[in-house]
Amino acid sequence: MSSSKASATVRMYRLDELGDCFLVTFLAGGKTSRMLIDCGSFRNTTASIARLEKIVKDIKTELAGARLDVVVGTHQHNDHLSGFVHCEKTFRSIGVDEVWLSWLDDPTDRTACRIGKDHNNLMLSLFNARKQLGNGARDGTVAQSLDVLNDMLGFYGAKGSGTPPVLPADAVKILKKLGRKQPQYLRPGCVLDMPGLPPGSVKVYVLGPPRDSDLLYRKDPRNGESYDHALAAQCLTTTKFLEAIEHRAGGDVSSQEEQYPFANSHKRRGAALKSARLKRIRRLYGKPDESWRKIDDDWMNQAETLALYLDTFTNNSSLVLAIELAENRKVLLFVADAQTGNWLSWPAIKWQQDGVKTDDLLARTVFYKVGHHASHNATLVPAFENMINPNLVALIPVHKKDPNITKPNGWKMPAKNLLKHLIAKTSNRVLQMDGKNPASCDPTKDPAKSSWKLVGIKPKVTDMFIELEFSGE
Amino acid sequence: MIKPAYRFLRGYCLDPGFSTRLDTASINEGIYRIPFEVLKPGPIGEYVEVIDFDPASHCWYDPVDLGDEEIASQYGLPPSEGNPQFHQQFVYAVAMKTIVTFERALGRKIIWYPRRSPRLAYELYTQQLDPKIHWNLRLTHEGRLKGLPAGLLSEGYVARLRLHPHALRDANAYYDPEKQAVLFGYFVAADQFQGANYPGGLVFTCLSPDIVAHEMTHAILHAIHPLYMEDTNPDVAAFHEGFADIVALLQRFTFSEMVEQQLAMTGGRLDRYNVLGELATQFGEALAGNRGALRSMIGRWTTKDGKEEWEPLKPSPADYATTVEAHDRGALLVATIFDAFQRVYAYSTRDLLRIASNGTGVLPEGSISRELVHRLAEEAREVAEHLLQICIRALDYCPPHDITFGDYLRALITADIDAAPADDKGYRVALIEAFRARGIFPEGVKTLSVDSLRWSGPNFTNKQTKMLSSVINEIKQHIRLLVETTDRHKVYELLRETQLVCQKALLFNKQKAFKEREWEDFLNKLGLTGRPVSKLFGLDSASVRFPYNYNSYVLPIEVGTVRPAFRASREEGRQIEQVLVTLTQRVLVEIGEDGERKRTMPFRGGCSLILRLGTSNEAEYVVGTSIKSYGRFERQRKYLLGEGEGPGPSASLYADDDRPWRINFNLLHRHRADGLSK
Repeated sequence: MSSSKASATVRMYRLDELGDCFLVTFLAGGKTSRMLIDCGSFRNTTASIARLEKIVKDIKTELAGARLDVVVGTHQHNDHLSGFVHCEKTFRSIGVDEVWLSWLDDPTDRTACRIGKDHNNLMLSLFNARKQLGNGARDGTVAQSLDVLNDMLGFYGAKGSGTPPVLPADAVKILKKLGRKQPQYLRPGCVLDMPGLPPGSVKVYVLGPPRDSDLLYRKDPRNGESYDHALAAQCLTTTKFLEAIEHRAGGDVSSQEEQYPFANSHKRRGAALKSARLKRIRRLYGKPDESWRKIDDDWMNQAETLALYLDTFTNNSSLVLAIELAENRKVLLFVADAQTGNWLSWPAIKWQQDGVKTDDLLARTVFYKVGHHASHNATLVPAFENMINPNLVALIPVHKKDPNITKPNGWKMPAKNLLKHLIAKTSNRVLQMDGKNPASCDPTKDPAKSSWKLVGIKPKVTDMFIELEFSGE
Repeated sequence: MIKPAYRFLRGYCLDPGFSTRLDTASINEGIYRIPFEVLKPGPIGEYVEVIDFDPASHCWYDPVDLGDEEIASQYGLPPSEGNPQFHQQFVYAVAMKTIVTFERALGRKIIWYPRRSPRLAYELYTQQLDPKIHWNLRLTHEGRLKGLPAGLLSEGYVARLRLHPHALRDANAYYDPEKQAVLFGYFVAADQFQGANYPGGLVFTCLSPDIVAHEMTHAILHAIHPLYMEDTNPDVAAFHEGFADIVALLQRFTFSEMVEQQLAMTGGRLDRYNVLGELATQFGEALAGNRGALRSMIGRWTTKDGKEEWEPLKPSPADYATTVEAHDRGALLVATIFDAFQRVYAYSTRDLLRIASNGTGVLPEGSISRELVHRLAEEAREVAEHLLQICIRALDYCPPHDITFGDYLRALITADIDAAPADDKGYRVALIEAFRARGIFPEGVKTLSVDSLRWSGPNFTNKQTKMLSSVINEIKQHIRLLVETTDRHKVYELLRETQLVCQKALLFNKQKAFKEREWEDFLNKLGLTGRPVSKLFGLDSASVRFPYNYNSYVLPIEVGTVRPAFRASREEGRQIEQVLVTLTQRVLVEIGEDGERKRTMPFRGGCSLILRLGTSNEAEYVVGTSIKSYGRFERQRKYLLGEGEGPGPSASLYADDDRPWRINFNLLHRHRADGLSK
């Protein structure tokens, strides 16, 4: 099949938990080129690692001695990158030509470095906060905060065990050295040729993460729309929060902390609490039948806010790629875990190449890797409405048996409403990683079966992966 | 010695940041005038107690003693960010100012939401209480429930709301309904922070009059309408937020010195009303991060020919339909009321402007005369005060649960017709225009006119009118006592008794006067039913799943409130005397699964009764929603499951788990929905 028209095969590897691993194989002008987008899973259990190892071995078999032309690391979360740590050796034995990362990982970019530093500080602070909060039983609300903190730090490989949250960062370090060529740090507006193919046959358009200085320094950042100084503000808050937590645990009190928020002379502690002035009001506060009104621990719930903030921020730092099969103009859209802010930045992208329009890319999209395991706020409605191609199909990397989803009040993945719209928009051509598709989307039965036939794709489902072929026609 | 009427306390009119800006420094300090009361160090008064414990800093701060001669003789402590005692004084001052505003408009005393033990709250929510106990629950208080260990299921009077000026290290402040407390945070302002906050500076949320008023309003609104805590449609949380902002914003305009200075500063632009808009914009900025939406709803800064100019945002009839997120919708309500404020202000100052501009009505560029500024500020203050009263009074004309903005508009109009039938300055027309401009229409109202918006009176039959009248007769004695009682704790206890008597009277008279069908007809007119739950939605009942066997269970009628209100009108000599009663029923319905557990939803029906006391004991209005409405039930169910238009409340991953449909102020204030992940 040596057509000059490019075709592509998208393979979603099946993890037994939350995680992303996509192998895309392109054929054009008799040449084959392969791109691996992410390889990771949420947990780092023995089972998780064994599964990842099996998948990477399968990739090796599939490549039959060929190298991966491009490996893409979208953002620093376990469920996207952990495989590069756990299976580093296998990846080395496969061999990688090029690694693509987002501009946020670029060590020569000053903005990126500053953001990276803030990000890291925030994460380490939260890690320390988690350790401190874990000491001793707390009331209900703090327990819930701790729960959230555990969840969010779980994305960094730091669940419970006390291991520092560096797994995704380690993965990026490995990725930076994995390719034979220097890694490429992509910015929105970049247009690249897929390596290993006749130039121009497959093009890659970079949509996110946003870097527009307008967005970064916007006067009124709405949550998630831009992240630079909002992040800085969170960092400051976290520092003060952490100092308080350390103080509570009996640690050293910094001179700054001594004067915060008031001069030390105003603060009453220890023996000074027994003063006549304070006696009455402290008795009121300490009354046993008024104990339900105590606020001793309420301030610690902030950990939850900070954790959620960190998580949103990291998701928004996702590298988003639209891959175009140039001849037939089909577009494959990989959005990683991009949340609202990232999506919002796309319409304003200044493209390196004339004539490119974001809306047009969305309109020609025939494959959508559903963002953030199909959570409710990782597919922006107006952009999704722009995906008007009647041949649209979608894959959701979600495993409903993931403990994060099954636990009480668990994560809503896939979000019901989004799934409903996805099903409608793709005429039932949506497949979940765990194979637990809604009845109407079972590809072996109608209506989904004939719907897939209509677009000329026969989903290949094995224990290992789900595969879709996009022909050159 | 005669007790003085007022206590005067110094404080900020705007956020302290404005004191460090030359143009606003002179006016940022004002005098708060609040009713005099004997205070204990704290301050601890009748309504609030300031407890300055800073758990994050591991310390207490000495309580301020406002009775101390050295402090009292100076109008309180001078404003200072570095003195915690001033913070205590300031929180107290703004809190009391807000309470007074409410009490004056409502014509009755504020009684805080009672303390409910968590177990009781939970069992009440899930309706797992034995129906008999549930029935009796309204009849007892202070934990005196028969056959149950005291304390486990208890409800008790809360005399004072607690104010903690330094409770959090966060850019946040919130009202905690379970603790009956307001927690204020402090934080370091980041670089590039906007507005008046300087980078690296320490910001205390308890020093922002807007934030204090906002949180106090949440607490007061919860006391008046406890069921608005249940997030049953996209407007409810938005209403809580928006209403709190409205009170804070309008309260700002009651400081004439500040308004005067602002008007003088931008004299040439008066005719474009930018000054007022700018004040509102600052208001949005002071609450940056949390309420940025407010700014974008009222107006924005644009650069024109290299000059920064504030531009009011043009409302669109599509606004209401397209604004669905809770904060944005809340901001929309604020913008609407603010728009009405501008309209009335424009109307009532037209003559002044013409006098000052040789009849053209267009002021020349440059400064304007002091006298004119003074008069304009006076007008602004009066309009703000009236509008604030209208907005607060309308609360009594709102349904007891499941409020929508449309309901609120109708309540505003109805309440104001009662209060000021002549409406010389056109408040009602201004309100209608502002709501119309944003496409906020009440359901089932064909035209937007004062008459069609006014709630209609009840269409009771003679027999039903008589029935209601006899019920009211039985509580009349209690109502008289309630009117005479000034001690709030006694009011609370009387209220409990009155509820019981009212409930008994309803049932007793039923047996006496009505046949089964007549009784049902009467209840239906009140939004209630006497039929068993299994027949609640008629033919649609079959598709509804109830968690319990409800075959023969008849929902108890809960008497929420019975309060007499005496209010003065803005029109001379007018006094309105009414009694407000709320009657509700609630049923628990299964609506899906959440992991292993069943998801349940409380669904309510009932009404607010507005009664005129006299020989006839007539009901003037019955404002409510029917418990038998399957359509409303379906809408609520879809909304809660996120299947309706826009984001549902489940948009946030970590909703409260035991009572999932309650508004969480902590989160509401910290996040917009899209800031939460997963």
